[in-house]
Amino acid sequence: MKTYLLASLTLLLACCYVGIVGITFAADSDAGEMEMLIFPESYKPTSGSNGGTISGVVKFEGDKPEMKMLEITKDVEVCGATEKYDEALVVGENNALKNTIVYLIDITEGKDFDKAAKLEMDQKGCKFTPHVQIVPLDTRLTMLNSDRVNHNVHIFSTINTPVNKQQTKNRRRMPLAGVKKAEGPVSVKCDIHGWMSAWIAYVPHPYFAVTNEKGEFTLEDVPAGTYKLGYWHEACGTNNESPVEVTVEAGGTVTQDFTLKLK
Amino acid sequence: MKKLSLFTICLIILIGSWVFLEFVVGGIISVPIPNSVIAMYMGLIVIAILVHISVEDSQFREFLRPIHETLVDDRRRVHRRVLVVLIPLFLLGYTYSIIAQRANPPGSPRDAHPSPPLELTYKDEGIGTMQDVVNPFRHYEKDDPEAFKAHVENGRRVYHQNCFYCHGDHLDGQGHFAPYLQPLPANFQDPGIIPNFQESFFFWRIAKGGPGLPAAGTPWDSAMPIWEDHLTKDEIWDVILFLSEYTGYQFRTFGEAH
Amino acid sequence: MRIRTIALLLTVFGMLVVFNSAYAQNAPEASEKGKEVYENSCAHCHGVEGRGDGSAAENLLPKPRDFTRGLYKIRSTEAGQLPTDQDLFDIITEGMPGSSMPGWETALTANDRWEVVAYIKTFYDGFKENENPPKQITLEGKIPYSEQSVEIGKELYVELGCVECHGNVGRGDGTSAPTLTDSWGFQTWPANLTQGWNYRGGFDTEDIFKRFIGGIAGSPMPAFEGDSFLNFGLTAEESKRLIELENKDEMTEAEEEESGQFYEKMDTAVDIALSIKEGAEMSTTQMQTYNDAMKVVYEKSWHLANYVKSLMPEERPEPAIGNNVLRSQYVQGELPAFDDAAWETFEARYFPLVGQVVIEPRQFNPTIDGVHVKSFYNDTEVVFLFVWDDRTHTTGDETDETTQKPLEDALAVQFPVKVPQGPTAPKPYFLWGGRLPVYLWHWKASTPDQVTELTAKGINNAETQEAQGELQVQSAYTDGQYKLWVKRTLKTDDKKDLQLEPGVFVPIAFSVWDGSNADVDTKLTMTSWYTFTLEPVPSSRRFVYPPIIAILSVGLLFGLRAFVQRRNTEDV
Repeated sequence: MKTYLLASLTLLLACCYVGIVGITFAADSDAGEMEMLIFPESYKPTSGSNGGTISGVVKFEGDKPEMKMLEITKDVEVCGATEKYDEALVVGENNALKNTIVYLIDITEGKDFDKAAKLEMDQKGCKFTPHVQIVPLDTRLTMLNSDRVNHNVHIFSTINTPVNKQQTKNRRRMPLAGVKKAEGPVSVKCDIHGWMSAWIAYVPHPYFAVTNEKGEFTLEDVPAGTYKLGYWHEACGTNNESPVEVTVEAGGTVTQDFTLKLK
Repeated sequence: MKKLSLFTICLIILIGSWVFLEFVVGGIISVPIPNSVIAMYMGLIVIAILVHISVEDSQFREFLRPIHETLVDDRRRVHRRVLVVLIPLFLLGYTYSIIAQRANPPGSPRDAHPSPPLELTYKDEGIGTMQDVVNPFRHYEKDDPEAFKAHVENGRRVYHQNCFYCHGDHLDGQGHFAPYLQPLPANFQDPGIIPNFQESFFFWRIAKGGPGLPAAGTPWDSAMPIWEDHLTKDEIWDVILFLSEYTGYQFRTFGEAH
Repeated sequence: MRIRTIALLLTVFGMLVVFNSAYAQNAPEASEKGKEVYENSCAHCHGVEGRGDGSAAENLLPKPRDFTRGLYKIRSTEAGQLPTDQDLFDIITEGMPGSSMPGWETALTANDRWEVVAYIKTFYDGFKENENPPKQITLEGKIPYSEQSVEIGKELYVELGCVECHGNVGRGDGTSAPTLTDSWGFQTWPANLTQGWNYRGGFDTEDIFKRFIGGIAGSPMPAFEGDSFLNFGLTAEESKRLIELENKDEMTEAEEEESGQFYEKMDTAVDIALSIKEGAEMSTTQMQTYNDAMKVVYEKSWHLANYVKSLMPEERPEPAIGNNVLRSQYVQGELPAFDDAAWETFEARYFPLVGQVVIEPRQFNPTIDGVHVKSFYNDTEVVFLFVWDDRTHTTGDETDETTQKPLEDALAVQFPVKVPQGPTAPKPYFLWGGRLPVYLWHWKASTPDQVTELTAKGINNAETQEAQGELQVQSAYTDGQYKLWVKRTLKTDDKKDLQLEPGVFVPIAFSVWDGSNADVDTKLTMTSWYTFTLEPVPSSRRFVYPPIIAILSVGLLFGLRAFVQRRNTEDV
């Protein structure tokens, strides 16, 4: 009898051993080489009143490039209704550069996000609008489908879990779960319509702006202080190597323009 | 229980042996035996049975008794009638199946060890006689292990950029193109391949490929490319080093005592 | 007594250790051994640092996996989750069919494979950071295969938009197929669902179901997740109704309201699903709503899996090797036309294709799996039907960047000019001949009703024959599949042609070009020599000899009996 008792005890021990055989790891892999935004280690939202404003215009250096027309290869009735251009480089009048992200690199304290703002990205005429979208952490972005065709939202995150979701033709709105980690900009594609392209930046603080057709940007309610001002543009890259320093005074306005060239 | 007749015992032994060879050994143990070998075994068993039953007259008569009875005895009338129907029916079916059989293509014999030319060449440049040529980087193995390692690594690169599609990641001839090639690509993990050849032989087969086989090297189906069109001489020697390093087999050498 | 006890205990423990090392669910700690095995057996494709950039990677498509992003295609775990150790172990053991990843079951011991699993995991920090084990997909509630289920699945296949990439009948020929890229920006083709043998993670219904629920990470194939699944939160009937409403050109006010209610219901369910994902606590009723909605997702996925399963043959067609040769069947009178039902009665022979890697430019990554061939002949003519899957219909509108030649789909059938006599007689070189010439039928998608006859003494040494027009041709491309029908007389006046005769075994080989895979000139997929024959009409002797033998045997039996009887009476 004793034998069996001992045997079962050993069995138990052995089972524990099987269970314990765990996993440990070594070697960290390097971070990606892609040109990314720089985020502060931490950010604390406090009241952002009595701040200053940073504004400016981003211009493109060189001749105004031709807009590259995109070839519409499917669902032509819907997607080809209007001509589509590659939005990687949109240069307007006076060489105004659209879709540039201008932001504060090293801010750690300031205003909170505007919680009331609706975050939407539309798929209309088989084009993402806007082309560059800033998404606060833990906030849902709603994808709209204004086309009556099937779309597929594919966000190529590498830090957060990548998103790959079909948005069938009758699915007018599809909210996406908020993400936890700052990242970006990450590419957004539609696998069904290969030409569709957009960018999303998941950001931890609200001091991000995207330039409009006139190349203008404004960062408001910036607490007084000296900051590094960074930019990111899909075709022109970043100034991560040498960000511009700006000093903001309470209630004051600083102007900082940029001139970018193709990387 | 009635004692089995000698005839039945012989029949059981005969059928039993066949079932054993065909289904137990060939099926369950799964060591398939060629039909010709089975036929040989069965022939031996038949001879043994014949010897056994014919040693004594009485034994032979005992053996023949059931046949006798079936043929003439009135008590065996039913057996007789059944047999008279079954035997011709079996023969009818059997002959039909033989005559109606489709013709199959002739198998093509394969020369697994084609004889190499006397002179080893790369493109048109002579390298030396097949017997004497040695791998120019082989000596690094002793002289300069670092350099040797670099050559092996280069061979590894060459292999995986050119050869592994057919000869496989594991050099076992099971690359992802391999199943659809006839003859099958060489398996370098086979202990009968590398140790049986000199490195110069491998150089020849790699450099000249399937089209370089001698007239007697049938069949002409080898898909082995003419690698001298794609690889440098050094790359071929490097890949040969890699083959023996990865598999752990040594190429055959001449003129040295082992 | 004590010795026996200890011995028993040691045995039990020993067995458990052995058992554990071979079958454990979790990999051991990453060790030097794992690194060594990895670097010797895996690094040439997956790279020393696991970035999928080994020396072989350049010429491969699909590309070897980059392990540094934690994206694994074949998993038993839910969307966005990492694979289990067992998943990794299984892939290493069984390989990835249809890619260049071989199974390592025989080449590496189970121990080594576990070591490699542990080592591969060190390339991605996520394995270390994730404390909870990955959530596995439950296979409970499987809906058994039935025609009804297949029907439902077939509708879902359209509703979910599977057709966009996988095409109308699943041959991977959807209109989005040519533009797909993976998460690394490399081109990737949607699966041809009718070729189960190329499914990377197996083609059982359960495997297919897991790919739906878990997605194929890193590829454009989305996962069927709660929050994004077709009309999540609606019952199957409600979902149907909503699609019906949405498909109307214009909705009445009542219908607008009806669909509005559906959308609200969906929004509620989606909100719960997202909240769960974001880690919020849910009430019991909310969980109930979520579970009900998920049940619909799972049910639909099983139906769809059954449909996909119905698209493929039970097994991969056997290659036409050995005695399994292509036998042209004799018919009396007219040969079957292009769309004759007679073709259905003929079981095709399959000729699997491989990349042409002998002569530059080479094709390392073929996209055409193989050619199905059927053939009939009569007293004067022979007809062939060649059928092959190609995801795109490329007819030469685009040009190849390096050669500036038009890219188009094409097929060439190759015979020797003279059939080699006897088993040791040399055949021409399998790649369009050499010393001995070959005779070719060359068809191109840009001229679909024409086949050019060529004579070649090497792949770069082909001549168009002067005498053309001996071939009758018809072809079609539908739903990712080419059908080519070619008819010729058995004998021709042209000495450069192959002359056909029943009963002769003729070598046959194929070259196929896929324009969208940049196949041009010698960059093609091919076979080596196979065999084809005009199967002779079975001899009428088969009705004569067997009866004669049977009758003779009856006579023999009676004779034997008479002989024995006479001997008996004599003995008496």
